[in-house]
Parts: sequence; C-alpha cells; structure tokens
Amino acid sequence: MEIFILGFFAIGYLVLAGADIGVGMALPYLGRSAGERREVIAAIAPFFLGNEVWLVATAGVLAGLFPRLEGELLHGNHTVVVTLLLAWVVRDMGLWLRGRVPGARWQAFWDGAIVAGSWGLALSWGALLAHVLLGIEGPVALLAALVPAALFATHGLTFAALRLRGALRARAAVLAGGAGEGRTYALTSAALVVVAVLAGLRLPLEPGTSGPLLVPVVLTLIPFLVAAQAWVWWTFRHRVSGPSYL
Amino acid sequence: MDIVDLARLQFALTAGAHFLFVALTLGLATLVAVVQTRATFSGDPVHLRMTRFWGQLYIINYAMGIVTGLVMEFQLGLSWSGLTEYAGDVFGSALAIETLVAFFVESTFLGLWIFGWDKLNRWAHLALIWGVTLTAYASAFWIMVANGFLQHPVGHVLENGRLRLTDFGAMVANPAAQVAFGHVLSGAMVVGGFFMAGVSAYHLRKRTAEQDVFRKSLRIGIGLALPGLFVTATFGGIGFQTLQPTKAAAWVNNTERLAAAQAEMVARLGPGDYLPPAGAVQAGGITMLTLFAVMLFVAAPSFLLMLIRPVVHRFRLWHWLLTLMIPVPFVTMLAGWVFREMGRQPWAVYGLLRTSDAMSPVTWSQMVFSLAGFVTVFAALIAVNYWLLARQARRGPGAVALGDRPVDVPVPAPTF
Repeated sequence: MEIFILGFFAIGYLVLAGADIGVGMALPYLGRSAGERREVIAAIAPFFLGNEVWLVATAGVLAGLFPRLEGELLHGNHTVVVTLLLAWVVRDMGLWLRGRVPGARWQAFWDGAIVAGSWGLALSWGALLAHVLLGIEGPVALLAALVPAALFATHGLTFAALRLRGALRARAAVLAGGAGEGRTYALTSAALVVVAVLAGLRLPLEPGTSGPLLVPVVLTLIPFLVAAQAWVWWTFRHRVSGPSYL
Repeated sequence: MDIVDLARLQFALTAGAHFLFVALTLGLATLVAVVQTRATFSGDPVHLRMTRFWGQLYIINYAMGIVTGLVMEFQLGLSWSGLTEYAGDVFGSALAIETLVAFFVESTFLGLWIFGWDKLNRWAHLALIWGVTLTAYASAFWIMVANGFLQHPVGHVLENGRLRLTDFGAMVANPAAQVAFGHVLSGAMVVGGFFMAGVSAYHLRKRTAEQDVFRKSLRIGIGLALPGLFVTATFGGIGFQTLQPTKAAAWVNNTERLAAAQAEMVARLGPGDYLPPAGAVQAGGITMLTLFAVMLFVAAPSFLLMLIRPVVHRFRLWHWLLTLMIPVPFVTMLAGWVFREMGRQPWAVYGLLRTSDAMSPVTWSQMVFSLAGFVTVFAALIAVNYWLLARQARRGPGAVALGDRPVDVPVPAPTF
C-alpha cells in the first residue's frame, strides 16, 4: 500500500504538472506577442499552484514512508536534484512576477525565466529518469534526458490545445495530426504514466516502519485532497477567453 | 569551511529566509481572512478594497514562502540523509502529514481563491481564505511537531540502528512541539499586525487617498499585535521552563552551569563536547527579549492612541514610528530561532544523533555548487520580492491587480 501511495502522488505530479511545465517550454512557440503569451499563461495559471504540490506531497510521502530511499534518491542525484530545484524556483518566480510591473522588458525577462525554468525542470526530470531507468549519468544523460523532455513538451501542447482558442489552439494542435484533443491528451498522459511505472519498478521501494500508522491516515486523506483539486478543475473547465491574474 | 559547516550554512540560510516569509504569511492570512469576512457580511466597498490590497501583499509574500519552503524540504534528503535514515521513520510522519493535510490543501485553495475571484460564489470564496488560513496553521503545527521531536525526542525506540515510532500521541503532544507552536503562531500574529499597522501609518502620514481603508487597517493591525505579544510572551515563558540543560546553561553563559551540563552529558553519553556555542545562544535570546520589550512599549500606547480618530489621522511622529517598526518583529523571530536552534547544537536529534553524523555522503564540491546556486538565486529573488512588496504597499489599493476585473473579460492586447 505504501507503494500505491507513492505512485499515486508521483504519477499525479507527472501528468498534471507535466502539462503546465510543457506549456512553459512551448511558450515562445505558442505565444508570439505579449498579449498572446499572457493568454497562453492563462491556460495554466489557475492550475500550476495546485499541480506542483503533488511533488511536494510526493517528497512528503518519501520522507514519511520511504526515508531511506528519499536520502539515496536525492543525494545520489545531488547535482540533478539541485538543478531541478533551481529551475523550479526560477520558473515559479517567472509566473508570479511577470505581471507585477508593467513594461515590455520586465515581462520579457520573466517570460524568459518561465521558459528557461520549464526547460530546466523537464531536462532535470529527464536526467533523473535516465539515471533511474538506464543507469546513465553525467553529460551523456543530458542527451537521454531530451526524450522525457520532449514528452513533457508534447504533453503541454495537448493540454494547451484543450484550454486555448482560435489561432493559439490551432498552433497547440500542430502535432496532433487531426486527432481529437481529448484523445491526444489521454495519450501523452498515458505515456507519462508508463514512464513513471517503469521508473518505479527500477527503484528499491522498501518502506520504512511507519506504514501501519501513516498509511491509513493518508488513505483517508486522499479523497478529500482529490475533491479539493476537482473543485479547481471544475471551476476552470472552460476554455480560456482572456488574460488571468498572472 | 568543512562540508558540515557548508551544509549547515545552506540549511540555515534557506530556513531563515523561509521563516521570514512564513511568519508574515501566517499573520497576513489571518488578517486577510478577518477583513474579507467583514467585507462579505457588510458588502462595504472599503472592506472590499482592504481585502484586495492586503490580499495582494499576502500573495507576493506567499510566493517566496513556497519556493524557499520546497528547497528546504528537499534539502533533508540532499544534505541530511543521515538524519532521515536514522530518524525519518519517526519525524518523517509529521512531515508527510504536513505536506498532505496542510500544504497540499493550502496551495490548492489559494489557487482557487486568487484565480476564482469574481468567478465563485462570495461565500465559497470566503470559505477558501479561511481554509487557506487554517491549513497554514496546520502546516506550522506539523512542522513544529517534527522540530519538537528533534529538540526533545519522545515516542520512539531504537531498533537496528534506526528509530521507530511507537507512540504517535506522545510525539504530537510533545511539550517541545506544542509550546513552540503557540509561540511561533502568536509571534506570526505580531509580525502581521505590525506590518499592517506600519504600512497603514505610511499612508496616513502621506495623507494618500483611502484614509478610511488605512484607519481601519491600522486599528486591526495594532488590535492583533498587542494581544499577540502577550500570548507570545506567555508561550515563550513556558518554553524557558523546559529548555534542554545544555541550552539553559548556554543561555545564562555561566562557567559553572556549563561545566555541570557538560559533565552530566559525559556521564550519560561518554566523552565528547556537548555544549552549544554559548555566545550565539545568548545573543539570540537577548536580542529576542530586548526587541520584545521595544514592541511592547510601542504597541501598548498605540493601542490607546488608535482609539482617538483625530490622532489616527494626524499624529505623524507616531506614524513614522509605526512604519519604522515593521522590520522589528522579523528580527525578533529570527533571533528566537537562532536561540532555539543554535542551542540544540551539537545535536541534530537531541541526545541521539550529532549534526556531524547526520550528513549525506556528498562531496565538498557538490555542497559548494548547491550552496552557491541557492544563495545566488534566493538573494536576487528576495531583493526583487521585497522591492515589489514595498512598491505595492506604497502604491495603495488603487493599483491592485488582485480581483481587479472579472477574469474572463478580454482586454485589448498591448501593441508593443
């Protein structure tokens, strides 16, 4: 059951946050003007805060249920994890700060931070997965990392196609080849699930000793957490029709 | 510097930065929730502008709290895997519950609160800010349970060189956790109260528009800060009764007390140096208590002055003083934290695991890389965010983007 809980939050993160990371990667392609970029950001704005907490929860589950694996995974990939965190911070700050001051240069700078941070995040995830799945480390891992990173970007495009309208929607559908938007999103989501499951099979998933206490607590919480998230999805189920707060 | 010092410096800088933002988050969330409650019941536009203005400042501050917090969470596994392997089965439970019960819900609801402005029913919107506030408290509670265990470990047994949790209730009821939670939470109310009063005083002194907004805000701020000080001091006083012997000896910095505490630890645990750096512990404690007195001397007369309306609008020297007071509770918070955490040294888990044995097997260059990376990025971001906070605070309620217009109404795209 410990493994189910870890997988639930890790997969939740990859599928949900993978989409907003991918949109950040594709921002220069999707949004060609300042106004367009703001509308593209509006596609992920209500979600990114609720998406990234799935990774915070994954780390919390690791700390509580798999403390030994947490240490091995994080310090064993020290440079990659530090890069991932830095990219995450830069990207989040780009999203929060881009609209705080009017002015083209300010916004262009923080849009750059969003794009660089999203690529940094995706490539760090790629490098981490390359190490776990294939045992590749060092600069070569960056080459292998491009594959998962491309998957994030594609997933972001399928999500953007579901959320945007008009020309932006058409741009986002460039790889879909006319397939339905819901179906392509399901396909890229499934690919991410497969990657996560394969990585999980390669990890030494030996739980610690707090399971008997913690597992029932977490299982009780999960429906409430999903309900809170479902409220977000329901509130913002319609296509974007203009800029948001960010 | 050796690698343990680097790792400690990295954690201290991250945790210290996080603490600054989190303290204001806890205080401001409470104040925003109170103000929005009044706005929702009264429908008064003044209350609504107050909600938007303080809410905007709250969000700027919250964003920095998140990014410093998540780097701190991951640092446990990055730098301190000796600690998580040894004690993670015990205090890791508190961290896991914190992320799920508190942080997860807090962030999810906050996203809805920000982006659902004018989209959600106003009662649902009000419920969200209270949800955000209560889960922020819950977050502080579970973090203090984890920290309380490191300060005063209870509810565990040692098995095969690792700790196992045997009594969850004892870990949660740990006085080292409960007292510290009360102290930190009420301290955060003082931070938020002085912040609101100081920013309001700036606008009253400058005679900006929105005098109603800032008269009411100043009263709410001081109205929270003064009782907050009393509650903080009460919990702090109880905390002083339950200090570890070595921390207590370092606090009085008396040679005999220090020698006695050292001798007692040697008798229990064998040879070694068991004393925390007395200078830092004492300096932290004295700074905290002195600034507490300063805050009390300002807040108590302010509480009386604010009852007289002409004084609130015209006493400019007092306005100056209140604005200058904004940083004081922050410094007090940090001083108290130095007192508590330096006083725990040389232990990661008091009496059980030394800080030097809690490290991950990482190299010196890896540690330098992460330290340089985090310090550079956070220093820049903290500067930008404090500048933005000050800028937004100066510009007042007229320039707030939060809840500015219905989210889905298209606006013309700029032509540059």
